[in-house]
Amino acid sequence: MTAAIRTRGLGVTFPSRQGAVRALHNLDLTVEPGTVFGFLGPNGAGKTTAIQVLLGFIQATTGTAALFGEPVTESIARERIGYLTENPDTYTFLSGRELLTMTGRLFRMSGRQIRLRTGQLLEETGLTAVADRRIAGYSRGMRQRICMAQALMNDPDLLILDEPTGGLDPLGRMEVRRLIAARRAAGKTVFFSSHELSEVELVCDRVAILVGGELAAEGRVDELIRPGESLERYFIELATSKNRGKEQR
Amino acid sequence: MRRMMAIAGIVWLEMLRKKDVYVLFILLAALLLSMVSLNVLGFGQISGYVKDLGLLSAWLLGWILTINISVRLLPQEHTRGTIFSLLAKPVSRREVLVGKWMGAWSVVCVAVLSFYLATWVVVLLRGGSFDAITLLQAFLLHITALAIVAAIGVAFSTRLNSDAAATLTYVVTGTTFILLPRIPALLVAEKGVRTTALLALYYALPHFELFDLRQRLVHGWGPSSWVILSRVMLYGTLMTGLFLLLAWLGYRHRRFSRGDLL
Repeated sequence: MTAAIRTRGLGVTFPSRQGAVRALHNLDLTVEPGTVFGFLGPNGAGKTTAIQVLLGFIQATTGTAALFGEPVTESIARERIGYLTENPDTYTFLSGRELLTMTGRLFRMSGRQIRLRTGQLLEETGLTAVADRRIAGYSRGMRQRICMAQALMNDPDLLILDEPTGGLDPLGRMEVRRLIAARRAAGKTVFFSSHELSEVELVCDRVAILVGGELAAEGRVDELIRPGESLERYFIELATSKNRGKEQR
Repeated sequence: MRRMMAIAGIVWLEMLRKKDVYVLFILLAALLLSMVSLNVLGFGQISGYVKDLGLLSAWLLGWILTINISVRLLPQEHTRGTIFSLLAKPVSRREVLVGKWMGAWSVVCVAVLSFYLATWVVVLLRGGSFDAITLLQAFLLHITALAIVAAIGVAFSTRLNSDAAATLTYVVTGTTFILLPRIPALLVAEKGVRTTALLALYYALPHFELFDLRQRLVHGWGPSSWVILSRVMLYGTLMTGLFLLLAWLGYRHRRFSRGDLL
C-alpha cells in the first residue's frame, strides 16, 4: 500500500547572513495510511519546516518527499489532503458558506457536491446558524471551526494538523480530539504536530520526535516508553541528551 | 480554469465587500462632474473638449485603479496568512497568479466600461456623438493595455510589498507610455552601445501608445482597420503573457514561511 507520507533524506537549509541555517537534516519518515501519527519536537526542532515542505510552501534542499506517492512539488499531491493550523487565518470578508463553496471549487467539486458537503460540515461544526454571516464577525472558536470545516471539505485521506490545539480553550481542544477520533474511525490518516504531549499520548498510534532538525526517535508510543513512564518524561530526556550531545561535539 | 475562476471570484467578492467599489463610484462622479463643469469655462457647446477630457479621465482612472488593485492581491494573501490555506489546496502557483490577474483585470474592465458609458452619456447630453464602432475599438484596445499593466503589477508584487510594487509599476508604465514613442527621435543623435540599449528598450517594453485611440474618437476619423486592431490586440496579449511568465518565474520557488509573519 502506498504510504500517506514518505520522505527520504529530506533536508532544508536556509541562507542567512550568519551563514546557512540547517533546519532539517536527512529526515526519513514513513506514515502508513489509517494511522494517527504524532510529530513532536521542541521549539525550532524543524517540525513546521517539514510540514511546510510537505505542503509545498518551501522547497527541500536535499532529499525527496511524497504524499500518496505523488511528489510534493506537484499540486496533484494535495488533492487528498486537508490542512489545519492553530491560526484561523482565512478570508474574513467571506461568509462561512462562501468560504466552503470556494474551497469546493478549488477541489473541482460539482455544484451539487459542494452544496451537500457544505451543509453537512456546517451542521457538524455547529455553524449552520451563522453560515451566511461574514467570518469577520465570528469568535476565535468559530473561526477555528470554520477552518476545520474547510480542511475537511474534500474528505481528505490525510489530515495534516500543525499544532492545532495551541491557543485553544479546553472545549476547543476537545473539539480537535473529537475530530482526530472521527478521522481515525473513518480509516483516514492524521499527521499531528504538537507540543501537548498528553494530547499526543492520548490520540496517536505512532510518534516521531525531532530534535535539532534530526529524527531522534520513531515508533509506537508503548514501544518508546517504559511501563509507568510518561511520554513527556521520555521526550524531555531525549531532547536534553540529544542537545547535550550536540553541545559536546 | 475552474480553480483560476474561483480565485478571481475571491478578488471580486473582496472588492465588493471591502467597499473598494465605492471608490470607483466616487471616481465616476468626479469624472461626470468635471465634464459638466466645462460649461463654467465657456466650452459647453464644444463636445470635442468633453470627449477629450472624458477619455483622458478614463485612461488616468483606469491606470490608477489597475495598479492599485493588481499590486496588492498577492502581498495581502501573505500578510493575512491566507496564502497557506490556499497553497495547501491542489492549486499551483501558476493558477494563483493567473487567477489573481484575472480577478484584477476583470474588475478593471467593468470599471473602464462604466467610465466609457458615462463619457458617452455626457457627450450625448452635450449634443455631440461618438462613432459606436470606433468607441468599441477604443474600449477593446484600452482594456488590452490595462491587461499588460495588471500583469506588470502582479509581476512586481511577487517579490515586493504592495507599496514598492505600486511605485515601480507607476514608474515603469508611466515612463513607457510617455517616453517609448520618442526613442526613434533620440536614436538619431546616439551611437554605439547607447543605440543598442535604446533599441533593446524600444522592443522589450510595451508600446502603450498603440492602444490609444483617443485622437481618432475625438476628431471623428472613423474606425480603425480590424486587421490592424487584431494585430495590436495580439501584441497586447503576448506582452501580458510575457509579464505573467516573468511573474511566475519570480513566484514559483518563493518560500512561504509562517515565521515571516511574526
